Amino acid sequence: MNMLIAKGMDWGWSEMLWTALISICLVFFMLVLLVLIMQGFGYVVSRRNAVAPPSAATKAQTQLHEEEIAAIATALKMYRGDLHDRESEVLTIMSIKRAYSPWNSKIHGLTQMPDRK
Amino acid sequence: MWTLLNSGSGFVWDSLRDFAGSTGIAGLFASMGWGNVAMICVAFLLLYLAIKHKFEPLLLLTIAFGMLLTNLPDANLYHTSLFEGGHVHWDIFVANAGLLDYLYLGVKLGIYPCLIFVGVGAMTDFGPLIANPKSFLLGAAAQIGIFVTFLGAFALGFTPNEAGSIGIIGGADGPTAIYLTSMLAPELLGPIAVAAYSYMALVPVIQPPIMRALTSKKERAIRMRTLRPVSKLERILFPIMITVIIALLLPSATPLVGCLMLGNLMKECGVVDRLSKTVQNELMNIVVIFLGLTVGATATAEAFLNFRTLGILLLGVIAFAMGTAGGVLLAKLMNLFSKEGSKINPLIGSAGVSAVPMAARVSQIEGQKEDPGNYLLMHAMGPNVAGVVGSAVAAGILLSFLG
Repeated sequence: MNMLIAKGMDWGWSEMLWTALISICLVFFMLVLLVLIMQGFGYVVSRRNAVAPPSAATKAQTQLHEEEIAAIATALKMYRGDLHDRESEVLTIMSIKRAYSPWNSKIHGLTQMPDRK
Repeated sequence: MWTLLNSGSGFVWDSLRDFAGSTGIAGLFASMGWGNVAMICVAFLLLYLAIKHKFEPLLLLTIAFGMLLTNLPDANLYHTSLFEGGHVHWDIFVANAGLLDYLYLGVKLGIYPCLIFVGVGAMTDFGPLIANPKSFLLGAAAQIGIFVTFLGAFALGFTPNEAGSIGIIGGADGPTAIYLTSMLAPELLGPIAVAAYSYMALVPVIQPPIMRALTSKKERAIRMRTLRPVSKLERILFPIMITVIIALLLPSATPLVGCLMLGNLMKECGVVDRLSKTVQNELMNIVVIFLGLTVGATATAEAFLNFRTLGILLLGVIAFAMGTAGGVLLAKLMNLFSKEGSKINPLIGSAGVSAVPMAARVSQIEGQKEDPGNYLLMHAMGPNVAGVVGSAVAAGILLSFLG
C-alpha cells in the first residue's frame, strides 16, 4: 500500500476498503495476542504465588479478622479525634512602625483644647 | 522657526502614516480580511468554553490562545510557509522563523506527543487491565470508529492520508491524533486537534445515549466479579513486555507505546519517584503548554475556515459514536459466550475509546443509574487504558500503510 502512494497511484475504493479491513484485523490480532500473553503471564504469576509459602507478614495479615480491623480503625479514629493542637503559648507583640494610624493618633485620643476666639 | 517646522511637515506626515500602517489595526484591514477576524472570534469562543465550562481547559485554553496569536495581524509568530508541503524548509527557517515556528518543531518532529505519553504512562494504573486482560478486546473493538471514519472521510473527498488523520479522532486520544496528523496531514492539524479535544470533553454528552440505546436494563445492571489483586512483579513486567512485543510486531507504534510504557515503568518500579513525579507534573505541564500553543497556531483562517473543517467536525462525532458502539456491542457479544457469573456489563465497552478517565467515569455513572450499588469504575478502567494502547496501535498501523 505504502508503495502505491510512493508510485503516485490514485487510491480507489478497493484499496481503501482493503486498508480498513486489514488494519482493523491487525488491531484485533495485536490486542488478542496481548490478551493471550497477559493471561498466560497472569497464570504463571498466580501459580508462583500459590506455590510460594506465605511470609510471616502475609500470615499476620491474613490472620486479622474483619472485626479486629474495624476495632483497630475505630481506636485510631478515637485517638486522633482526641488530639488537640498544641500551641507555643508564647505571646508576642509585634511592633509595627507606621507613620500614622488612628490607633496612635493624638488628635483622636486626647481632648482637644477649646478654640479661643 | 515656523519655516523650519513647515519644511518638516512632510516628514512628520510620512512618519505618522508609516506608524499607522505598521499597527495591528491597519494590518487587520489590509492583509487579513474577515477570515482572521472570524478566527479570532473562534479563539474567544474556545477560551470561553475552556474557562467558563472547563472543556478540557488544560489544552483548549492554550490551543485557543495559540489560535488567537497566529491570527493577530503582523505578529509574525508562526509562518505556514516554513512547513509547506509537509516538511520543514530548513533553508529559510532561521532567517524567517518566529517563536511559535520554533516551538512547532516539537509537533512536526513528533516530540511533544511522545513526551506527553511518558507523563500519561506515569499517571496510568494498568492494574485493572492486567487483572482482566480480556479488556484488551474491548479496547480493540472501540477502534472500529477509526476505520469506519477513515472510509467516511474518503467518501467525502479527503485523500487517504487526510482520511487516516481524521479517522484517528475516533481513538479519542489527543496526543495520538496529533502525532499521526503531524505525520500524515499536517495541514489539518488545527481542525483535527480542536475536534479531538472538544469531543473528548463532550464524552459525557455523546456516549450515554448510544450506550442506553444498545443495552437493555438487565444488561446495564450486571454486576461484575471483583478484580483479582495484581502483584508488583506483574506491574513492573507489564510495561517492559508490552514495549518489546509492540516494537517487534509494529515498529511504527513504538514511539507512542514505548513512551507510554516508560512512564508507567517509572511509576511502578518505585525506585525513581523523582522522575515519576517530574514526568507527571513539570514535564507534562511544560509540554502541554508548547503543544497547545503550537497546535492552535496552525489554525489559520485559510486552514480552518472552509467546508473541510465542517466535514472533520462531523466525521469526528461519527468516529466517537462508532467507537462507543463498537465497544458496547463487542461486550454484548462476549457475554453470549460467557458463563453466568462472569458476564461483562456492556457499559464498560464504551470506555474502550480512551478519553481516560472520562469514558470510564461515564460507564460508572450510567451503571449506577440502573443500580446505585454497582461500582463499574475499576472494571471500566481496564478497557479505558486498553483503548490508549489500541489507539496507539491503530495509529501505528495507519502510519505504516499511509506514511
